[in-house]
Amino acid sequence: MDSVSAKFIHDRFSDYYRINLSTIQPPSAIEKREFGFILFKERMMVRHKAFRTVERLRDFLKEIVPSDAYYSSAYYELPEEKMEAKGRLGTDLIFDIDADHISTPCQKTHDRWICRGCGHNSKGLPPETCPSCGYEKFEEKSWMCEICLDSAKNETIKLIDFLMKDFGYSSEEIDVSFSGHRGYHVSVEKNEVHALDQVARREIVDYIIGIGIEPELHGLSERPERGTRIIAGPSLDALGWRGRIARGTYELLLSSAPQDLRNMGIKPKTASAISKHSERLLRSWKDEGPWSVVRDVGAESWMKLALYGVEKESAKIDTVVTTDIHRLIRLENTLHGKTGLKKAKVAATSIEGFDPFESAVAFKKGTAKVKISSAPQFRLGDESYGPYQNETVELPTAVALLLLCKRRAKMV
Amino acid sequence: MAKYPFLPEASKFMRELGIKISDLGKPEYRFILDRAENRIEGAILFGTTGDKSPKDDVEIPSFPIAVILVAATKNSLIRKRYALAEAKRISDLLKSEDKEKIIRIAGTFNWRMRPKARTTSTICDFTLHYTDFLKCAPVFHDKKWKLVNRQMSEGAVCLTVHEAARLLEEEIRRHIEKKLEIDVVSLPEAVMSRVSLLAQLFKEKRVVPSDKPSGEIVTSAFPPCIANLHSEIASGRNVSHIGRFALTSFLINIGMTTEEVMNLFKSLPDFNERLTRYQVEHIAGDRGSRTQYKPPRCDTLRTHGVCPSMDVMCEGVRHPLTYYRRKLRNVQRKPPI
Ligand code: SF4
Ligand SMILES: [Zn+2]
Ligand SMILES: [Zn+2]
Repeated sequence: MDSVSAKFIHDRFSDYYRINLSTIQPPSAIEKREFGFILFKERMMVRHKAFRTVERLRDFLKEIVPSDAYYSSAYYELPEEKMEAKGRLGTDLIFDIDADHISTPCQKTHDRWICRGCGHNSKGLPPETCPSCGYEKFEEKSWMCEICLDSAKNETIKLIDFLMKDFGYSSEEIDVSFSGHRGYHVSVEKNEVHALDQVARREIVDYIIGIGIEPELHGLSERPERGTRIIAGPSLDALGWRGRIARGTYELLLSSAPQDLRNMGIKPKTASAISKHSERLLRSWKDEGPWSVVRDVGAESWMKLALYGVEKESAKIDTVVTTDIHRLIRLENTLHGKTGLKKAKVAATSIEGFDPFESAVAFKKGTAKVKISSAPQFRLGDESYGPYQNETVELPTAVALLLLCKRRAKMV
Repeated sequence: MAKYPFLPEASKFMRELGIKISDLGKPEYRFILDRAENRIEGAILFGTTGDKSPKDDVEIPSFPIAVILVAATKNSLIRKRYALAEAKRISDLLKSEDKEKIIRIAGTFNWRMRPKARTTSTICDFTLHYTDFLKCAPVFHDKKWKLVNRQMSEGAVCLTVHEAARLLEEEIRRHIEKKLEIDVVSLPEAVMSRVSLLAQLFKEKRVVPSDKPSGEIVTSAFPPCIANLHSEIASGRNVSHIGRFALTSFLINIGMTTEEVMNLFKSLPDFNERLTRYQVEHIAGDRGSRTQYKPPRCDTLRTHGVCPSMDVMCEGVRHPLTYYRRKLRNVQRKPPI
């Protein structure tokens, strides 16, 4: 990055921490947390930091003006020591939902990857290996678009539903925030989760993603009754995964054409039987459920459909983050180095109406003139901007900063 | 109390009896020592705890005394075997206890367990808080023990009496095994000779030929290839022959016992106990050639498609075992979110 642009970004971050310092809140038990910061200059991570009070943390932020600031999900006896000597006391239960892990139709239009081996590049998410040279490292140029962030939000809403209904946490016990870039972070800090080990956390992950689920163990089965075989399954209002399986399968039937069903591996005969009786199937749901309405649909087909139902109901969380008991997480109300947006808290109950492009904007005043190489159309606050292609524009500070941080523009 | 000698009342009773270790050699303690020895013999020979003494003042103290004797053998395999036998005995008893009793015992481990009435649609005798459930359930590999396959609402997991007893058995086994780790400094000579006899008996009867301690397995230090195979198997999916071989030999080499590896494979749909045991024992060198196999090198694994995607640490490594040892040394950390 050229030095003028770099200085502009650094100066704005510096303004932010000067003016908004009081909005920086300490994580619970601040003195037991490890902090880490990425410095602008060296793009280097300073870690193993600890602060006894929030004032010290704020002073530090104001003084060094980091491009990113993190705290540990873990509590340590000696947070400043090396990893082996820290003495972990426990870890919050954390979740990360990142648009990168959810496939959306628009990814292909706004994301690019460039092979670090040969420079080959293409649209969408990077492949496992480069098709032209076989190398496995890529530079990714992603964009944060509304559709992607909306689907991340939907997954977050599903996750919150799991945490409240199945895991029994109240909305006050669930911390939710927009990460400032492409996703949402959710955490539960209640004491009872601190001691969960990695295996236990893996089980929680599997629960939320529906990995290893057996519809049979949730009551979907074929059993003989009065001389014939009938299919029985969970009811719509059942608790836990039972009801979720039923509702997911219901949604699936509502939204699938015979062709879709065939693509799911359902035999043509069965698929057409399902759509022929779709009226009856859907009506039946009000009472005992659809499981045995159509004679041509056997247990095997229902199992398949139920697993697609599970897929619909599960929340697409990042599996690695939740099982990692030493992760660093971005600190709330600090700026994201890749966007200049802030990590913004949102109440678990009002996430539905939350607008990240509004709430995460950290600068409301001033303008800057930038030369934009390319950027798709996007919105920030109430205004819409772009698309841009090799042009110089005067833009509000937050918008200019976003393009500069994303390396789509330069200061002029 | 005689049935559940780890309960607080039993410890109180013990204190009132006021037995001193240095006195154990005295003749008046013979019956207690006999019964303690009998518990351990039962565990070593048959995996049971022998016949109960009708006298409470023999039966109750015989348990803590047996704990001291087992600890004094300083043999981790005897410790494991004894803890398992005591836990099995208790779990069998629990299955016929009333709900209140089971809940009280769960309470001694701070488990949040509540009674529940069965309904037509659910077989649920208790609910247990999910964090307590997850302390023990993941060691069982059957699919019904996966959290995702349980009925859960408001953080409460449904359990039948049998399942509750099974979970408690595991908790009690760990609890006893921990107790057995105490350092026994000095025992009267007469008692010490009983200890050596027990150790002797174990040596002769021992079925597991492996002498190496089962070291702690750090799954987070597994290389990607092994981590992948491990989770595939654990979630009941089938993997290729070379995959099974790589995983088994890897686990054996880092200190898992044949039994532990067997348990892992149990969740596979086509699990064949005899065949799997044969293969695992063969790789472990318990059988046939008696050589212990090493997992294949990275390049072999790669050509067989078992190397999914290398991570940074893979780059300087030609063998998955090297990866594991290196990673163990520096607990690596993932990037922040
Ligand atoms: S490089 Fe070696 S250690 Fe790493 S994943 Fe591949 S086979 Fe495993
Ligand atoms: Zn390439
Ligand atoms: Zn998009």
